[in-house]
Amino acid sequence: MTSSNNTNKMYITFWGTRGSVSTPGRITEKYGGNTPCVSVSCQDIRVIFDAGTGIRNLGMELLGEIKEKENPPSLHLFLSHTHWDHIQGLPFFMPSYHKNTKLTIYGSPYKGGFLESILKEQMDSEYFPVSMSAFPADIKIREISEEIIRLGPLIIEWQEQVHHPGGSVRYRVNFNGKKVVYATDVELNNIFNEKENSEENRRLGREYIGFITDADLLIADGQYTEDEYPDKVGWGHSSIPVLLDTAFRSNVKQVAIFHHDPQHSDKFIDELWIKNRAIYRSKSRKMDLFWAREGLTLAI
Amino acid sequence: MTKDREKTIRTKSIDLDNYKKGEASFSSTLEMSPKTFIGKITAARHAILEIMGEKKERIFVGEDEVIIGRTPDCDIQLLVENVSRRHARIIYKSEEYQVEDLGSTNGVYVNGIKVERCILRQHDIIEIGGVKIQFIEEKIGQDHDLK
Repeated sequence: MTSSNNTNKMYITFWGTRGSVSTPGRITEKYGGNTPCVSVSCQDIRVIFDAGTGIRNLGMELLGEIKEKENPPSLHLFLSHTHWDHIQGLPFFMPSYHKNTKLTIYGSPYKGGFLESILKEQMDSEYFPVSMSAFPADIKIREISEEIIRLGPLIIEWQEQVHHPGGSVRYRVNFNGKKVVYATDVELNNIFNEKENSEENRRLGREYIGFITDADLLIADGQYTEDEYPDKVGWGHSSIPVLLDTAFRSNVKQVAIFHHDPQHSDKFIDELWIKNRAIYRSKSRKMDLFWAREGLTLAI
Repeated sequence: MTKDREKTIRTKSIDLDNYKKGEASFSSTLEMSPKTFIGKITAARHAILEIMGEKKERIFVGEDEVIIGRTPDCDIQLLVENVSRRHARIIYKSEEYQVEDLGSTNGVYVNGIKVERCILRQHDIIEIGGVKIQFIEEKIGQDHDLK
């Protein structure tokens, strides 16, 4: 997924950063209009977070590797949850149409055994012309049962996030002493809320902070501005100030703000970036922050 | 460098003192002609790399790979101590321009973020060894007298 081949690094690429619904057009060209998809490439392992519409472009790039290599990389798709914007690209993931592909799809075990049926129903003939069973690829769908998942040199940890309608899962990739956290679709404002300082919220807050502490990269939901949030309470997404404050307190090194609101244009996001970067540059500790954009690859 | 690629003509030294930033001191020079074309440039597809500074230098790039680094064989030679010998490249892939780090010591930054690779968008600022380069894409259909 990148020409770089340093075996001691993870390469993180953003293929889709937009939340809720794909938003193509001139005013979203810079940060991108595709819905969530992030890849982590390390040695011969390809981890993918979410299958929003961004996964289509990732698939096109992976297809070259799959066709050319005798032993193509193994693909591991971790779903945060099954809302439309996180699974809608899956039918357009071209490696699924190639017999050399080995793809494992992971999701929450708390769906009552429905993960496989949800994904298959999306490709019911009422919605899509090709059924999932027609894919020539070797595809396994797994509801996560173990605490940690080992994929070659990578260790993947996960936690449930309750503050999103229907729930969602956050993941942490550990490699070579580095940590990358993917934690989208969660309403942190509900957890870190002084007015609802319940024991349950304190527990959830401790869990979240424990999970993200010292992360080298935190990819996290920051869909709303502080002004927008009051009209979106209960929709399952975080406001930018609460996200950044929590990340700063947790000693996160770099934050990629993710799941951009469909109403946020490139110009609007640029302004948010300038404003918030200035705030955190003036702090005692350095924390880099940026709004994730399609086509960006970082080495961690 | 491909056969049909034009040789970059380095006829002018530009003082990069205006790139002084923090503790770094760039007393070296960028060698580049005042108006440079790298590779085959067409009106339909080209972009401009504008070396930022007191005297802005514009380099027109087409669909050929452009290597940026410190050594003379690079398409764009930046004689700056923090630039690696072969530091970065600009490639045109899937009808988009991308910048890619070639394993440099000091990294490639786009709008202040250290990147391994990044699809470039209008007015992105690429930073290589402290030298800032603005990416300007000319849209298809705009007709230019390029030479």
